[in-house]
Amino acid sequence: MGKQKKSLNEKIAELDKKVEWFYSDDFKLEAAVENYKNAAELAKEIEDDLKKLKNEIEVLAEDFSK
Amino acid sequence: MPNSMGHSDWLVSDVSEGTRLNSWSPTESIQMTPTTLISVVNDTLGAVYESVEVVGEVASFKVNQGKWVFFDLKDESSSVPCFMTLWSLRQPLEDGMKVVVRGTPKLTQWGKFSFTVSAVQPVGEGSLKKAYELLKKKLTDEGLFDPAKKRGIPENLTKLGVISSTQAAGYADFIKIINARWGGMRVQVAHTQVQGMDAPDQIIKALRYFNEHGEVQMIAILRGGGSADDLACFNDEKLVREVAASKIPVISGIGHEVDESLVDLAADVRASTPSNAAEMLTHDRMTELLKVKKMMTGAYQSAMQNIETARMANHEKLKRVSHGLIAKYIDPKINEVRKNMTEALENIKRALKEQEKHVEQKTVMLEALNPEVVLRQGYAILSGKISPGSVVKITTYDSEIITLIQEILKRSKNG
Repeated sequence: MGKQKKSLNEKIAELDKKVEWFYSDDFKLEAAVENYKNAAELAKEIEDDLKKLKNEIEVLAEDFSK
Repeated sequence: MPNSMGHSDWLVSDVSEGTRLNSWSPTESIQMTPTTLISVVNDTLGAVYESVEVVGEVASFKVNQGKWVFFDLKDESSSVPCFMTLWSLRQPLEDGMKVVVRGTPKLTQWGKFSFTVSAVQPVGEGSLKKAYELLKKKLTDEGLFDPAKKRGIPENLTKLGVISSTQAAGYADFIKIINARWGGMRVQVAHTQVQGMDAPDQIIKALRYFNEHGEVQMIAILRGGGSADDLACFNDEKLVREVAASKIPVISGIGHEVDESLVDLAADVRASTPSNAAEMLTHDRMTELLKVKKMMTGAYQSAMQNIETARMANHEKLKRVSHGLIAKYIDPKINEVRKNMTEALENIKRALKEQEKHVEQKTVMLEALNPEVVLRQGYAILSGKISPGSVVKITTYDSEIITLIQEILKRSKNG
């Protein structure tokens, strides 16, 4: 089974976690550049999603009057 | 063949079996049994008035054996006896309430006219308010609106169920707002009536559909503004209980800010309007964009600050290390150089002293040759031409003598 696509909210939560690392005691100078690069890529992805993603509206065929 | 009453047997026989009298004409005189008559009348009423709605005031309301409801529906001049099951009664009734009832008129087996009610709903502000207050008290006492039971909006909402009329303005506003604000959500819409006596059952079916299929994370029940009568269906007891019992959290966005239905109270989250529900269920794209930018700026600044802190710490460390190195490697060298220099200076000093001594000796020697010293020792210096008859000068320590050489004699040098 393929990897399930992350939702916008999930991506934002993931970015939040990545950014939190920069404020935490886990921060390591050696990993800072790589982590910032990863976070920036995710941020770009989120920005694209925010600009492009549309909602899928489906009116059910079910007749609830019967 | 005519029977005892002068009519053909087949007619009575057919009627008693409940067969429609298709061949019957109003102008014909027919005979039938009371049962047949009642049956014919009920068939006729049922055909003509399959479902009738009657508006009137409730009087003589009573419940028998905990399951049968009787009341009269009256206006200024007439009264209709009504009958229904308690199960069908979805809102509390009291004498004096104005209601609309839906049902079928019929004759009882005793030949009395009755209206069999399938649904009843209060109408008019006073009755609606009364019914609302009675049911609210009953359900509150049962703990149906207990705030402790409320669930919030799921954090990662991607699948939403909507129950509304797709033709309603409130629904259109809702869709417009969620599309403007957010993306990536799958919205399933159950189209139902959102006003009138049929609305509660349709909404209940839609609620059950979403709960049974389990494909959505939250259900939104939406209906735009309207009169108290329009919104009365959201005070239906069965619907309110269904909302409270929903496994999937429910958000209500019904009417305007000031309208409060019992469905609102039973829902997990109450939005004041469909538009407000859309705002509560979705984030705003622009706000999120700014948030993401702010997050990244913050991360960058924090990283820079951490780097600066590390740089300062390293600087201090370097300082400490360099001090150590100086003490370990440079200071001994300096000391060695200093020692060597001292030694060299001492050597120079010694050499100079030797030189000084040597010069002193030479000076003594030279001093010994000094004419003044010789003169002081009693010697004299003769200057001028040394020949007889010459005038010469004799210099002693404290005088100069001018004299004439009379004779020059040879001197013996043996001592």
